[in-house]
Amino acid sequence: MKKTIVRTPAADRAVLVLMTLAVIAFALFCLLPFWMVVVNSFASERSLSQNGYRLWPSEFSLEAYGYMLSGQQIYRSYGVTLFVTVVGTFLALMVTAMYAYFLSHHRLKHRQLLSFLTFFIMVFGPGLVGSYILVATWLGLKNSLWALILPYTFNPFFALIMITFFRGIPKDYHEAATIDGANDLRVFFRIIFPMAKPVVATVGLLYALSYWNDWWLALLYMDNEKLYPLQMMLRQVMSQVNLGSYVQGSNTNYAQAVPGLGLQLVVVCLTIGPIVLAYPFVQKYFVKGIAVGGIKG
Amino acid sequence: MQRQRRAIFQAFWQNRHLYLLGLPGLLLLLLFGYVPLFGHLLAFQDYRVDKGIFGSDFIGFKNFEFFFASGDWLRITANTLYLNLLFLMFGLGSALALAIFLSEIGKRWLKKFAQTFIFLPYFVSWLVVSMMVFQMLKSNGLVNQMLTALGLDPKMWYQDPAVWPILLTLVYVWKFAGYFSIIFLAAITGISPEYYESAQIDGASKLQQITRITLPLIRPVIIVLALLALGRVFFGDFGMIYGIVGDQGLLFETTDVIDTYTFRALRQLGNFSMSAAVVFYQSVLGVGMILASNALVRRIDRDSAMF
Repeated sequence: MKKTIVRTPAADRAVLVLMTLAVIAFALFCLLPFWMVVVNSFASERSLSQNGYRLWPSEFSLEAYGYMLSGQQIYRSYGVTLFVTVVGTFLALMVTAMYAYFLSHHRLKHRQLLSFLTFFIMVFGPGLVGSYILVATWLGLKNSLWALILPYTFNPFFALIMITFFRGIPKDYHEAATIDGANDLRVFFRIIFPMAKPVVATVGLLYALSYWNDWWLALLYMDNEKLYPLQMMLRQVMSQVNLGSYVQGSNTNYAQAVPGLGLQLVVVCLTIGPIVLAYPFVQKYFVKGIAVGGIKG
Repeated sequence: MQRQRRAIFQAFWQNRHLYLLGLPGLLLLLLFGYVPLFGHLLAFQDYRVDKGIFGSDFIGFKNFEFFFASGDWLRITANTLYLNLLFLMFGLGSALALAIFLSEIGKRWLKKFAQTFIFLPYFVSWLVVSMMVFQMLKSNGLVNQMLTALGLDPKMWYQDPAVWPILLTLVYVWKFAGYFSIIFLAAITGISPEYYESAQIDGASKLQQITRITLPLIRPVIIVLALLALGRVFFGDFGMIYGIVGDQGLLFETTDVIDTYTFRALRQLGNFSMSAAVVFYQSVLGVGMILASNALVRRIDRDSAMF
C-alpha cells in the first residue's frame, strides 16, 4: 500500500486540541508558584509548619501580615526600593533619552566612533573587580543609596532602543525648529521628547523593572541591613537570622512567636505586589519593547 | 593651522547644546564602563587593599597559574558551558513551540489569557524565584507532597547536586519561555497569510503547514537568537545561580559557574587578584565568542547584529 498522509479535518482538530492543552498546561505551570506564594501567605504558621505549603491551606490567618506590618523594617525597605526606583528611573530615562538623541543626531561628528565606544562595553564588560573598587573605594559609595542607582543609570541596550526610534524621526522636524531659532535643547525637550512618548514609556518601564528587581548592587555595596531594598530584605528573611528583631526593629515583641515561614511569603507578596498590579496595564509596552530591542537584550 | 583650529572650535560652539545633551550619558559611560577596566590590571598583581592599584606589586601570570592549577577552572568553565547550552536549547525550544501553538489557537481570549500568565514570570526577581523554588522543593514542599501522594519516596532535593542542571533548566524555561515566545510570535505574525491559504487549498494538514511554512520562514530569527545566546555562553547568569543556589556548597559541583566563583573570591575570600584573573579569563573567552557569533549573525541578518 502506498503511504498516504492523513489530511482529514479531524486530524487537524486533534492537533489543535493538543496544542491548546499544551499552552494551557504551560500557563498553569507559570501561574502555580504565584498561586502558592499568595494563598499560603494567608495560611496560619501552624498549618505551614505542620503541612508545608499547600495548594489550599488547612487554616487561614493574617498573623504573618500583622507581624510584618507592625514592624519597622518593611517600611524602611519599601522606602529604599521606592526611592531607588523612582529617582533611578527618572534620572536614567533623562540621561538615556538625551544621549540617544545626541548619538542619533545627523550633525554629530564622529558618530561611528561614539557608537562603537557605547556598544563595545556591552561586549567587553568592565568586570566585577574594577566596578567594585570604583564604587566602594574611589567613589566611596558603600552603604549609600546612590550605589544602588548610579551604576544602572546608563544602559547601552536601552539607549539602543531609543536610538532606533530617534533615527526614524524625519530630519525636517529638527530643521524646521532650528530655522525658527530654537536651539538643540529646546528642540529636544519641546518637540522630540514629547514625540517619543511610546519609546519613553517602554524604556522607562524597563529601567523601573531593573531597579525594582535589583539585588546585585545591594549585595555588593550595602552592608547595613536596615538599608536593604525589598529584594535583599527577602533574602535576609529567608536566612532566618535574628528574624524577629530584624523585621520588627524597636517594636519587637519578644513574647510573640515569630511566624518565620509566613513572613517569607509575606515579603514575597509585598515585593511582587506592585508589579503584578501594574502588569496588566503595562504589558503591551513591554511587548513593544521586546519586539524592537528584545533580540539583542 | 590657527584658522583650522578656530573652525573646529566654531563648529563645536555651534553644536554646544547638542553636546550638552550627550554629556551626562557620556560621563556615566566613561565612569562606569571604562574606568573599571583598570580592574583587569589586578589580575597581574598581588593586590593589597592598603597599597592600592598603583602601589601593589606586579607578579605576571602567577594568579592565572594558581587558578589553572587548582582544577577549579575546569569545573566552573564546564558548568557554565553546560548550563548555558541546556538553557539555550530548552529555553528557545520551548519558546518556539509555545509561539507556534499560540499562533494556531483560534480563540483570542484564550490566547490573551495564556500569554498574560506565560509572560508573568519574566517580571519577578531571581530572589523571588529562589523563594518559590525553595517552597516547591523543600522536604515537605509541594513536589514531595505530590511524590508521596503518588506512593513514591520524597526526595531531598537540596542534597543531590546531580538533579540541579535539570531543575535550573526548568526554572529557566519557566522564567524566559514567555519572553522569547513574544519574539518568535512577532516573526510568525509577519508571515503572509497567503502562504497558508494556498497550502490549505492544496490540502496541507496543520502539521505540514507548521513544518513546511512556519518553521522555514522564521528560521533566521531562530538562528539569530541561538547565535546571540551562544555568544554569551561563557557568561553565567549570576542573579539566577546565586539567587537560587546561594552558598549551599553541597550543590557547587554541578551549579558553580564562573560568575558565582569570582563573586565568592571577591566578597567572601577578599581575594581581589584571583577574582580579577578569573574575570579576565572569562572576558577574553567571552569576547572571542561574541565576536564570532556576531560575525555569523551579520551574515544572516545584518539588522540583528550588534555591530
